[in-house]
This record gives sequence, structure tokens and C-alpha cells, in this order.
Amino acid sequence: MTLTTVNNLVKQLPTPTALLDTDFKLLHASHSWLEHFDCTRNQYFGKCISQLPQFIESQVLAQLKFCLEGTPQKLLFDTNASATQYKNYQFTCTPLYNENENIIGIILQAEDISSYLENEVRFEKLENLLKDQSEMTKVGTWEYHIATEELTWSNMTKKIHEVPEDFQPNVDAAIDFYISGHERNSIAMFFHNGMIKGQPWTTKSKIKTATGKEKWVITSGKPVHRGNQIIRLVGTFQDITEQEVAEQQIREREQILHTLIDNIPLNIYIKDLNSKKILVNKAECDFLGVPNPQELIGKSDYDFFDEEMATKLRDEDLEIIFNEKPVFSKERMVATRAGKEVPMLVSKIPLKNLGGQIYAILGISMNISSLKEKENELRKLINVTSEQNKKLINFAHIISHNLRSHTANFSMLLEFLMQEQDDKEKEKLVNMLSQASQSLMETLENLNIVVDINTNINIEQEHLDLNEKIKQSLKALEAFLKQKKAKVKIDIPAGTTLKAAPAYLDNIILNVLKNAVIYAHPDRTPVINLTAKKEGDATVLSIKDNGLGIDLDKYGDKLFGMYKTFHNNKDARGIGLYIVKNQVEAMGGTIEVESKVGIGATFNIRLND
Amino acid sequence: MINVDTIYIVDDDTITAFGIKKLIHKSISCQTVLEFKNGKEAMNHIQASLSNGGPIPDLIFLDINMPIMDGWQFLEEFLKIPFNKKIVINIITSSIDQTDVNTWESYKSRMPRRLYYNIKPIFSIDFKELLSADIAS
Repeated sequence: MTLTTVNNLVKQLPTPTALLDTDFKLLHASHSWLEHFDCTRNQYFGKCISQLPQFIESQVLAQLKFCLEGTPQKLLFDTNASATQYKNYQFTCTPLYNENENIIGIILQAEDISSYLENEVRFEKLENLLKDQSEMTKVGTWEYHIATEELTWSNMTKKIHEVPEDFQPNVDAAIDFYISGHERNSIAMFFHNGMIKGQPWTTKSKIKTATGKEKWVITSGKPVHRGNQIIRLVGTFQDITEQEVAEQQIREREQILHTLIDNIPLNIYIKDLNSKKILVNKAECDFLGVPNPQELIGKSDYDFFDEEMATKLRDEDLEIIFNEKPVFSKERMVATRAGKEVPMLVSKIPLKNLGGQIYAILGISMNISSLKEKENELRKLINVTSEQNKKLINFAHIISHNLRSHTANFSMLLEFLMQEQDDKEKEKLVNMLSQASQSLMETLENLNIVVDINTNINIEQEHLDLNEKIKQSLKALEAFLKQKKAKVKIDIPAGTTLKAAPAYLDNIILNVLKNAVIYAHPDRTPVINLTAKKEGDATVLSIKDNGLGIDLDKYGDKLFGMYKTFHNNKDARGIGLYIVKNQVEAMGGTIEVESKVGIGATFNIRLND
Repeated sequence: MINVDTIYIVDDDTITAFGIKKLIHKSISCQTVLEFKNGKEAMNHIQASLSNGGPIPDLIFLDINMPIMDGWQFLEEFLKIPFNKKIVINIITSSIDQTDVNTWESYKSRMPRRLYYNIKPIFSIDFKELLSADIAS
């Protein structure tokens, strides 16, 4: 090989290469060298290498000397390859031997390792990052070589299994960590499918660690192909026990909450700010007559109530949203889908997010029908009791006034009689005594009737045809009505019935009709109108006259009272209406009067049908 | 003999009214004795008399328990009328009810002249006592 050939060879070497003599003078250099170190041949050839601007003398020369002694050296250099580029080089110094094995120079080869070093730093960073990440997320990795059947676990994977770092896993042992049964079978199946069919997988399962602790893990795996062949399986292994336990707790709490709201006998719903439902419980579904919550979600009150009611409810919602104040225990009537009105006790509470902003309204309502019914029953009972009490007091009052009145009359008349000398006057007094006796008898008879009515609680009541009954009464009063020139108009639908004791109903109709004629207006013919209408379970018979009328503000409370004036008197208002009232009430009905002075009066008799 | 112009008897019980009338005629001389079945009739008559210059009573015998307008309601109406004559009212009742006695007590202080309360039976009327109270006051 000629020198020229050597020269050419050196020149064309792809690796930056320089040839130094034993004085470290630059003899030859490859093009790549010159390029790398930004110098021309003329400038540095024949000059000591240390004069190259990029080299720091002391560092280089000491090592080059070692090299001359026959030890190849590696030099690491940080250097400015040019004014703008900072690079790392690794120099390999190799002694150059001649045929006689004498060292005649040094071969200096440079390798730009900047990017290598950079990668190394990056790699280290990544590795640390991965490690940190793995620590933080408890994600380990695993790898399986199908050919060697070798399974490797990352440190984290080992940590999760609670095995020592030098633990050598194999597939069988790894699968055995999974809880036996379904968990273990399915992981074996996934592994098998991954290996044979190349199916990737991710699955959540439970393992039992080396120390016997149960853990929730997510195992993922995917195949690595070379050509068509699956050569490896790689995957991750994540400990999610903490999350799982926390999630389970949340799920359990949710379960409790759901059980609670679905079984509590209260209607519960949550509405968004547009008053559309976003949550409803079972009771609310039942109340609105839908089989499942899905039919209510996204709907508003406009879908379930009439326009007026829905608008009222929406206004109420808006007020809550605006004022941010709850409404508690409001009572209202709500029409159900079946068209029935039921009393509800309603509370609405604004729901705020963690930022304190309202995002929904929580509604809780309760059907209080049964409560109301009880309340009404109680009220009725109180009314009955107080009514009875009133009657008792009234009766005591009657006894003290009426009976005493008669006895006082007897005493007075007897006293007069004893002192009277005049025979004619005596006869008059005796007549009066007989009259008083008659009157007392009547009083006792009437009181007896009243006692009868009030003690005969289970009086037999029948369904009676109202028109028929009125016809009978009119017949009985025929002569009286004719004499008074009274006109009676009946406008009662055929077949109108009511439930009453026949004898009582006769007496009631007779008395009210008579009364209407007796208190006729002197300037006009008495006209009496009889009408009837159904009101719920009751029939209301109205007897309207065009008579004198009664100033109810002043005398209303005396109308049905008991007085000393009886029907044999010219002024017939005495016990008649008192007995009528007792009879009506004994049959569970009511009697009321409407009147205008000078125009007439209407008696409304309400009896059950 | 005591002389009285006009006396009203307001009572729905004819026998009591008869008794009172008898006792009036036995004890005093009275030109006019008018009977009314209830407070309303008596009040109507008083109002009519006030407008047409008819006789205003000097003394009223008043029952309590009557239909339409009872004795107490009559007194309530009576108190509203500005009489230029002081009228004595004598309640005659068969009631031994304490609440009636209490009501009487409450009306007594409001009346321009004496308001008496007598429980039946009555055998005599002391007109001297009834009317002299006014002279004394």
C-alpha cells in the first residue's frame, strides 16, 4: 500500500480521523475531521494537535502520552465544534505501530456523542418519570416471551403482588395469584386468547397477594408481532384497590340513598333550573301514575298538570331559585292523573353546588289525605259532641224556662183564686188554670217528642221519592193552602230520592210549608217554590217563599229555638221549627235559612241520599 | 192612688200577661195598658209613638225568653233611643238561670232609670217601690 493510498484512505474515512506523529503533530486528517472541527488542512497540518482551538492542552497531552506508551485511550471532550455549536465528542486514541511494532504515531478518531448523551439524559429523565408515575399510579408492567416462556415483572408489579424483588414469576404462578374461580379462569382465557389470537385485553379482577391480602387490579395485555407471528405479550398491571374500595363505599352509600328515597313514603324529585325533572323516586312515579322514572325525567309540571296549576308551580320554583330560600311544609291541593284532588304537604329546597350556586331544586311532598281524613273525622266528632252539648244546654234551658213558666203560672193563678171574692172573676181564673194545664200538657208532649227524636239514634231511614212525599204533604195541607190562597210550584226532577225517616220527612215538609204561608207578605199572594238538587252524596230540598222574610242578623239564632208560643196560638212560631231541626239533625242532615227582609225566605234542607 | 199614664206588658205568655194586668188594675190607676207578644212588637210601637206623638210608656214589664226579639235584644234597641222621658223597666221572668241574672247586672248600670229583675211567680207588685226609686234619684 503506498503512502498516497494511505493518505487517500485516511481522507475518505467516514469517521473523523486524524493521524498524529509522536510529537502529536497533525499529519493527516479525514475530510470528516476537517468538517467537524472547522479547520483547513493548511492551517493546522504539521502543528501540534493541542493548538487546535477546540482542544484544551493539558487534558489532551497527558492522555496522548499514555497512548504513546502503548495504552489506547478514550478521551471525553466537551467542545465548541464551531462558534455556534456546542458538542460532546469522544476521542479514541490508538497507538500507530509500524512493521517493527514500534509506535510511530497516534490514530485519533472522534465520535460526536452529543445526541447520544442527550438521549441518555432524556432516557434517564423518562425512566425516572416512569418510575414516579408507576409509584404514584401503582401501575406495573409485565412482559412475556412466548418462545422462552419467560415472564418478567416490573418492580411495581412485584410490589403489588407483595413478592420480593428477586422473585422470578412464571405464567402459572402469575395466574394463581388471581382469586380462584371466575377471576382466575377469565384471566387465563384472556392470556390464552392474547397469545393465540392476538386479542388485546383489559380486565378488572381480584388477586390474593403473597401475604394473603386481597387487592383489586386492572390487568391489560397486548401482543407484540414480528411479521405475522406473535412473539411477545406486554402489558400493565395496576393496583386499584384504593379507588375500588372508595368507589365501593360510594356505591354502597348511593345504594343506601337509593333504597332510602325509593322506599320512603314521600314523593321525592329533583328539578333543574328549567323545572324539568332530573331525578324522581318510586313514590313520585306511583303518584304520577308512571311505571318507571324514565317517563318523568326531562319532563316538567306542564306535562302532568293543567296550565294554571303548572304555571303556579313554575312561579314557585322561580321564586325559590331567585330568593335561594326553601319553602317548607306548604299545604296544597294537587290534582292527580286520575283527576282526584288530594291534599299534599310540600317542601322545596334549593340545591347548591360546591361553589354555592343553585343548580336544582329538591322537592319533597307527602300525600296527607289520610291525615286530613282523620283530622276531618276528629273535627266532625268534635262538632257532634259540641252540638250534643249545645242541645243538652238548650234542653236544660227549655226545662228551666218553659216548665218553670207553667208552674209559676199555676202558683200565680191559684194565689189569685184564693184571694178572689168575685165569682165571675173566679170562674175566669179557673178557666185560665185549665188553659195553663192544657198548655203544660202540650209542652210536656212536645218535650217528649224532642227527647224521642234525640234518643232514637238508630231511626230507620228509607230511600224516599221526594215528589211522592211532597204530594202527600200538599194533600194534608190542601184546605189550609186554599184558604190562604197560596200557590205552590214544584220543580223537582222525577226520581229524586233522599234517605229519611218517612214520619220525620212528613213533619219537616209540613212545618216549613205552613211557616211559609203563615209569614206571607200582606201585600202579595203567597208563592212557594220547591226545588231540589244533588250535592255530592246529599239531596238539598229548597223551599222558597215570597213572604215577610227574617232579619237573620238579628233573629237568626232564635228561629229554631223553643218558646212558649205553640201552634194553638195565633203566632205559631214556637216549637215547630225546633222539632224540625231536631229531626233533620237526627237523620244526619242540616237545615239552613237564607232570607231578605220584605222579599222572602228560603229553607234549605240537606239530607243524605 | 198612684196614677200612671202608659204601661207596656211585653210577654209571649198570655197567662203571665193576664196576671200582670190584673195586678196593675188592682193597685194603681192606669190609662193605657198595652200588651206585646215579643220585643219586636213593643219596639215597633215605641218607634211609631215617637214619630206620631203617641204615648211613651212610663213602665215596661218585660219578659226575657221570647221569640223573634227577646228581652235582652229589646233592651239593646231601647238603649239606642234618646228618650226625653225616663222609663222604668221591670223584668218578669221564669228563668232561674244565673247567666240571665248576670246579664241583668250588666244592663242595670247602663239604664237611665231603674231596671228591676223579678222571678215568677209574682203575686203582687209594689208600684210605690217601683216608681218612687225615680223620685228619689
